[in-house]
Amino acid sequence: MTDAGLRGRLESHARFASEIRGYFTARGYVEVETPTLSPFLIPEPAIEVFQTEYLGPGGHPRDLWLIPSPELWMKRLVGRGSGNIFQISRSFRNGDVGSPLHNPEFRLLEWYTVGSGYVESIDVLEGLFSHLLSSGWEKRTRQLSPPFHRLTMNEAFQRYAGFDLAGCQDVEDLVRAARRAGVRMPEESTWEEAFHIAFLTSVEPALPRDAPLVLLDYPSLVPTTARRAAAGPWAQRWELFVDGVEIANCYTEETDTEALTALLREEGERKKASRVQHAVDDGLAAAFPRGFPTVSGTALGVDRLEMVFSGEKSLEGVILFPFSDIVP
Amino acid sequence: MIKASDVAKGTFILINNQPHVCVEREYVNPGKGSAFVRLKLKNIKTGSVLRQTNKVQDNLEDVSVEYKEVQFLYADAESYAFMDTKTYEQFSIPSEGEEEKRDFLKDGENYQVVFWEQTPIDIKLPTKMVFTVSEAERAERGDTVSGATKVITCETGLKVKVPLFIKTGDRILVNTETREYQERVNN
Repeated sequence: MTDAGLRGRLESHARFASEIRGYFTARGYVEVETPTLSPFLIPEPAIEVFQTEYLGPGGHPRDLWLIPSPELWMKRLVGRGSGNIFQISRSFRNGDVGSPLHNPEFRLLEWYTVGSGYVESIDVLEGLFSHLLSSGWEKRTRQLSPPFHRLTMNEAFQRYAGFDLAGCQDVEDLVRAARRAGVRMPEESTWEEAFHIAFLTSVEPALPRDAPLVLLDYPSLVPTTARRAAAGPWAQRWELFVDGVEIANCYTEETDTEALTALLREEGERKKASRVQHAVDDGLAAAFPRGFPTVSGTALGVDRLEMVFSGEKSLEGVILFPFSDIVP
Repeated sequence: MIKASDVAKGTFILINNQPHVCVEREYVNPGKGSAFVRLKLKNIKTGSVLRQTNKVQDNLEDVSVEYKEVQFLYADAESYAFMDTKTYEQFSIPSEGEEEKRDFLKDGENYQVVFWEQTPIDIKLPTKMVFTVSEAERAERGDTVSGATKVITCETGLKVKVPLFIKTGDRILVNTETREYQERVNN
């Protein structure tokens, strides 16, 4: 029996990606392609990766890893003077599936804007939403139309957890405040763990869902390659949530070699607790020459974006061969 | 002990010495920092619900429970009555909060019931069960659009969306988690 709706779904699926490409190309971003097989990665303790082996000259095996994001290669291009670039790459994250919002192999859109900070990148993303809504995905216009809601992380904690995150820079203070707010906190945790437990238990489920929401200024104590804010304990970072689903993550990128070296060292240490170990990218720290202009980078889950634009609740609605079907 | 990452819907864990059953489990990976599971847990004794977030590598205290083979006898307004198939002892489980299971309880059918300290706490349904269609409208002649469906009623009152060729008296296989029709079963 043939699937009568298949052809239409394939066309719509293909056009969704080509509309994204068209949007960035029309704005002067150059589409790039970078390796998905890599001899080293950026250490990210929360992300398990896939390891494989290259049979090199003389049959000498070399360990290689599938990229969890194309960041390491795209930053090298930007540092070498590429100007604004974008890519929709296959990315791979190992570990827990069992969730309608995760597929181990997925499409990640990354774009880098030179001379621009993280807040300006919100405008670029609002423009992309408007473009998609006017290109045939207008069914969910009410929930997806810009302007996005904007809320700082501190405002979100004040509003939904009832305490001031800025005043909780010690883990003890944070755990005490979270317990008073009714969150079950573990006996021992790092600041980052306590923050995420409080955020995931009382803040994230309460975030407004009537329009896309940009949550700005994450704590600088959550280690990332985002640059620190000029004032306060914050990083120049935002995330976009649509209908409670995390869609995109953006930084004003840290370009200072010393700061990046320190981050990679610390994250490399924490990465030792992961199941799959990998060689650490030691070229990233020096990717940007001294005095490089401000640059912002955004990573966006394309499958998740297509899911929310199609009104689906699960990635299975937009992925042609979901992992759970092909690897039951 | 059980790892937080291994807790699934239906897993029993002990919190403050109270048995809880996991009713929702969501894997959350903020990407930066650590990975977590967000759990919704129901207190088996009081029915109260709590939400908590654990790191995937956290250890939680699991509950040792016993599974018994029992026969479903009947349902009244407040509870489901069963009989232990070994001891013939009868007991009931409150139906509050478990109303959706009524559609899958067939008179005289055997089920697994979970006991904690001699108290029945949960009815385990097989993932797939066979039901007999008690009411089905006849398909319109000539209606051959592929994928067309209708809603039928089974002997327990369960309503299922099925293909048009299913008729009264047919036996069908149903997924008890999704309530979806799987296939027609030959007699």
